[in-house]
Formats: sequence, C-alpha cells, structure tokens
Amino acid sequence: MQKSHSMSARITVSALLSILVLAVCMGIGSVEIPVSGAMTIIADRISGKVLPSSVDPAVASILWSIRMPRALTAFFVGGALAVSGAIMQAVLQNPLASSYTLGVSSGASLGAALVIVSEISVPFLGAFLLPVSGFAFGLGTVVLVVLFSTKLDHNVQSHTIILIGMVVSLFVNALLTLVSAFAGAHSQELLLWQMGSFSGRRWYHVAVMAPVCILGTLLVMRYHRELDIMTFGDEQSMAIGVDTRLVKKILILLAAFLTGVSVCFSGTIGFADLIVPHTVRRIFGSSHKYVIPMSMVIGGAFMSLSDLVSRTLLSPREIPVGAVTALIGAPFFIWIYFRTPGNHEESK
Amino acid sequence: MISLEAENISAGYGNPKDKNRMQVLHEVSFTVPEGRNVCILGANGSGKTTLLKVIAGMLPYTGSVRISGQDIQKLKRREIAEQVAMMLQFSDIYFSYTVRETVMLGRYLHIDNFFGNPGRQDREIAEQAMEATGVSDLAERQIGALSGGQRQRVFLARTFAQHTPVILLDEPTNHLDLKYQEELMEYLQRWSEQETVLADGSHHRNTVIGVFHDINLAFGIAQDVIFLKDGRIVAQGEKNQTVTAEMLQTVYDIDVVNYMKRQLNHWKEL
Repeated sequence: MQKSHSMSARITVSALLSILVLAVCMGIGSVEIPVSGAMTIIADRISGKVLPSSVDPAVASILWSIRMPRALTAFFVGGALAVSGAIMQAVLQNPLASSYTLGVSSGASLGAALVIVSEISVPFLGAFLLPVSGFAFGLGTVVLVVLFSTKLDHNVQSHTIILIGMVVSLFVNALLTLVSAFAGAHSQELLLWQMGSFSGRRWYHVAVMAPVCILGTLLVMRYHRELDIMTFGDEQSMAIGVDTRLVKKILILLAAFLTGVSVCFSGTIGFADLIVPHTVRRIFGSSHKYVIPMSMVIGGAFMSLSDLVSRTLLSPREIPVGAVTALIGAPFFIWIYFRTPGNHEESK
Repeated sequence: MISLEAENISAGYGNPKDKNRMQVLHEVSFTVPEGRNVCILGANGSGKTTLLKVIAGMLPYTGSVRISGQDIQKLKRREIAEQVAMMLQFSDIYFSYTVRETVMLGRYLHIDNFFGNPGRQDREIAEQAMEATGVSDLAERQIGALSGGQRQRVFLARTFAQHTPVILLDEPTNHLDLKYQEELMEYLQRWSEQETVLADGSHHRNTVIGVFHDINLAFGIAQDVIFLKDGRIVAQGEKNQTVTAEMLQTVYDIDVVNYMKRQLNHWKEL
C-alpha cells in the first residue's frame, strides 16, 4: 500500500503544479495580473456578475479574452501531443517514435502550404481552411503509411511501419519543398506556420481542442493494457491474446488524430510528444494506466510554459513556440534519458 | 477435448507472392491429442520455431491448423490465446515494468475492468506462476535490469499465468542455470499431469508442446516426438518407437548416441 500512497501523492503534486503553471501563464505578461485579482475576474466572469470597480476592465479583458484562451489552447495541444507520443512509442516499441515519424507534420505542412501558396479560398471554411487542410493532409499521410504497411506486411510489424513512415515522410517533404519554391512572398507565412504559435488563440479554439484532447485521452485509456502489452512486441502481444493487427491500427489513427488536430491549432511543434512521455515514465513507471493521463497533464503544463517563454523571453517580440520546446526539450531529453546508468533500472 | 491438428502446412518468411521467398516448412502434418506432451526436435534452421508460431497463429501459412476441430484462421486472437499460450524465445524490452506487472500481463484476457485491476484469483495465479519459475523474490525488480535467464523465467511465469490447457514453449531452458532447468522440467512434468479448467467450466488435461535444444530434457518430458529436417517431418510418433540411433544421426548429422556416451564418461570419475 506504501507504493500506491506515494503514487497518489505524485499524481496530486503533478496536478497541482500544472494548475499553478496555468495560473502563472495567465498572470505574466506585459500587464502583470496578481493571482488574487485574476481569481476575482475569473469567478465573476463564470458567475456572470458585474466586475467590482477595483478591477480595471481592460485588465479583465486581457485576462479573459487573450491570456486564458491562449494558455488553455496551449495546454490541450500539449496534452494531446504528449498522449499521441506515448501511444506511438508503445505501439511501435520505439522510444524515439512519434506521430511525426509517420509523417503527420510533413503531411500537415504540405496541406497548409498548398492553401497558402495557391491563395485558394473556400466558402464557409474561411479562416478554417488552413487548419482543416493541414489536418486532412496530416491524417491522410498516416493513413497512407498504415495502408502501405498492411499491404506489404501481413503482421503489420512495427519496423515496417516506421520504415514506410520515414519514406513517405521524406517523399511528402520533397513535395513540400517543391511547393515552397513557388511560395515567393508567402514563404514567411509558411515558415511561421511550420514553427508553431499560439498567438491570437480564442475561446472557440479551446472549445474544439479541449474536448478533442480530453475525449481522445479517455478513448486511449480504454487501451492502456494493450499498450503495456504491445511494448513487448507483436508476437508477444499475439501470444497474450491482443489482436495486434487491429489494435495497432486503431491506436495509430487515434494518435494521428490527436496530433492532427493539434497541428491545426498550433502549427507543427516538436519535442513535447517525445520528452513528456519519457519524463512521465520516469516519475510514474511504465504502466500506461498512469502514463496516458499523466502525459496529458504534464504535456499540457509543459506546452503552456513553453508558450509563456515564447511570448515573454524577447518581449514584445514572440519567438516560435516550436523553437522553445526544442531548446528546452533537447537537453532535457538527453538528461532524462541518460540520467541513470543502464538507462532502465530505477529502483532495486 | 482440445486437440491440435496441423495438415499440409507450408510457411515461410517474406511476401507470399514472391517466388524467391524463404520457404521454411513444407507440407507438415501432425496431430497432438489432449494430454500428450510433444517435443519437436531438429537441427538449427529446421523450422522448429516457425512450426510453433504457425500453430499459435502468428505467421501466415497454407494448409490448415485446427484447435479442437476449429480452423484457427476463423478464431479470434483471444479465442486462440484462451486455449493456447506461447512462450517465445526473445523479447526486446524498451520500457521497464516490474516482474509482477509483467507476469500480470498474462492475465490480460481474464481481467475485465477499465483500470485493469487484478482480482484475487488473478493475483493468486500470478503468484503461483512466479513461485513455479522461481521469480517470486524478484517481483518488484524492473525486468530491464534482470539477466537473460531471469527474464526467461519471468516470461515463463507470464505464460503460465495465462492459465491455458496447452502451452507452446520455444526452448524454455535457454539461458537457464542447471538448477532452474531441473526445477522447470519438474514443474512442467507435474503441470502436464494436471488439468486446467477453462472459463466455460470445461476440464482439460494439460499439454506441453515444446521445442528443445537439449535432447535429454526433451526426452524427459515428451511422450511423442516430431523430428524435423529442412522443414519436413522425417519421423513422428511415440517416443520409444520413433527415437532410434539412425533417426538421430539423420536429423542432427552426427552420431548422437556415441556423442552422449562420451559425454557421460566425464562424470564417471566424479
């Protein structure tokens, strides 16, 4: 019982820290908002009361209309990316795999590039055309990879998927380069999209991203035992009774979906999906019963924090959040991965 | 009755449409009745492991494999795994679980709640399996930190935890110290004399189908023997009638009987 006590302690601390991170992200910026003031504003907004005269309506507006939706969008994007990374690492038995390995980001970038370069516009979709196209191409690329792998390999083995994923990814990247050559004046816009940003995110972004992230995570949770089993490889999983051919496809598509929607709302942001699940495994063990939900929570906090850095470090200029996650992520990953000798042993 | 029938099995690796693909098994047929322990013997590369994987439904093949009369291609993965458990030779470990967690994964088909929490029976069966393979003391250790032989025993425990009447073992004594080899073979012997009761209440005599590198260990447990050479069955049947000096010579390409006798000389003076 000692063990489960410390486990619930670890979960509680992580959850509280994440909330603290969110609060800090909402408070810090060109206008500092103290936590007490922020609480008043949020409570009043939610309960529909009129703001007390002590609160500057401009501050309230900054908090409610700009910072909160931005921090929350970052949170749920980070959560979704981290969960999708945890899935891919387990399903493909590869600690370095992610949705990006299977071409989600190259596909999404191509989709976005086509829209940007062609200056196409579709009625009803309006500003949503770009993310929708990115999402469709990102998911489409992964579907292509899975279809190819199924066709070529009866058991859809992981190394087949990774290999096909890399080839398709490179191919799509080549197409992207081709399209970019015609980008001309649009190349800046394309580049920004590829590096990711949460600038200007509104409540309707949260309204889509939050349910996708939360429901997606719950769906994935249904498969937490299969995820555990699949880390041991395809044949072992079959021996235990997991229908790997089916479950693998379901999980890969779920992961691609989570990444795809995230990419739509933020551009392509790397590293969160790679380092967060590893960090979570270090703290909570490898059991996906914990890895999946905690990846969501910690991934969310990590992304909100990265976004905070991206908008405050060189304020008033913003640096792309993808650059921040990589700058924090790369050294952190090396540290977490090689911290202990033998790399797997934690406790004797 | 759980019997295993294989008829005209051919299998190999690579694309089935490719004419140059590696064909490992050639029209292999045999039957394993319930309660008969069978060992599959043959030289390296004769197709022993491939044969086990085909019966477990892990590799594509032509011909037919039936469990209790049902074609395994029509069975769901879980329906196979409820009757037949298999211990494979290798498993790469990328993410570290404790020994107990790993063994508990064998209870996958028996645990049916959202969080996958094991019930009392699951815990008892897992403990029993760990006891039998001598890994109880390692229960809280990370499998990534164990030696090859210890891991082998953990995976064996997981196989037993599946609680199936038929188990397929691919060189289960590989990496094991003599002590554990002996203990394992004794346990297998005892286990194979017992029954397993399935979830539907049916009783089945236990059956071991194993690939063994060590001929002595194989003969200790098997009632029937299948000899494979170059992917074909060269002899099969009851052990005492099938195993002859000539057959061993054919299969292993060495005078096995004399070799074993010479080995025995090392021990006479001790």
